[in-house]
Amino acid sequence: MISSLAIIAFAALIHTSFQLSVSMLTLLSGHAIGSKTAHTKLIRLTGGFSLGVAVMTLLLLTFTAFLLQHSFGNNVPLIAWAVCCGLLFGLGIAVWIFYYRREKGTSLWLPRTMARYLSDRTKATKQSAEAFGLGLTSVIGELLFIFAPIVVSALVLIQLQPFMQLIGIALYTAISLLSLLIVGGLVGSGHKLSHIQKWRENNKRFLQFAAGSGLLVLGFYVYVEQVMTATAMAHGGL
Amino acid sequence: MGKAIDIIKRDGQRPTEPFQREKLHASIRAACLSVRTPDGEAETIADTVCDAVIVWLETKPEVTSSDLRRKATETLHQHHPDAAYLYKHHRLVM
Repeated sequence: MISSLAIIAFAALIHTSFQLSVSMLTLLSGHAIGSKTAHTKLIRLTGGFSLGVAVMTLLLLTFTAFLLQHSFGNNVPLIAWAVCCGLLFGLGIAVWIFYYRREKGTSLWLPRTMARYLSDRTKATKQSAEAFGLGLTSVIGELLFIFAPIVVSALVLIQLQPFMQLIGIALYTAISLLSLLIVGGLVGSGHKLSHIQKWRENNKRFLQFAAGSGLLVLGFYVYVEQVMTATAMAHGGL
Repeated sequence: MGKAIDIIKRDGQRPTEPFQREKLHASIRAACLSVRTPDGEAETIADTVCDAVIVWLETKPEVTSSDLRRKATETLHQHHPDAAYLYKHHRLVM
């Protein structure tokens, strides 16, 4: 059970290293501070945005777990684990190659029209409810990369007892929000956005390497634990 | 300002529009406020940058929005490097 929760926690750590939501939160805060929004309203906006991200992450994880449980029951077939490992390996390499664009700033892989749309929506966001919707959207926008950590967590979750499933879901959601909470806390406590953005830009290659490597390591671990061990046991090797 | 200057928008994809001091002033002021600069100081810096950009514009027959942004960033950098960084990179955040 500890290793199941460790897989979920590690997958959530990989999730939190993806940067679309953080970029949108940085922009949202920048526009709010730049237009002299009151501090309490700034906190409400960043809080609404983070809540939106949390809700959509929760929904995606539980929906994926529901679909997988409906398909496989509590016993996940070997082929599903193998496919999941392939997904993790493939996305790990994709993150290494594509995640950030080769230009200044922290431009992501997103098509430019979509990035511009999200940027314009962020600029137009003035109310907490809009910020909540923006948070929901940011998770959907990042779906291509967070899909693998969510699927592996869902596969692990459906094998747990119901109470542990709740703990696993809460753990995943809480850890996946860490980067947003850190940036939200820094903005709320008066840090300069330029310093936050400079840090993100200076460390983007490290974050990209860490996220890609994390996906590969997780894929390898899951492969050894779920595929190789089960295969060896089936052949009487262990 | 002696003559009206038309600004060619990004890559010529959007229609050309005349230079508007207020628009530049608002964006510079917002960049300064974003890095927690006091209101009065942000106003002064925005005025200084706008004046410098207008003097530069007088020497140009036509200007693209990228040129305008580059010149504004250079001038802003002399007065407030943090604000200049955000002003320069705000389209490259995501």
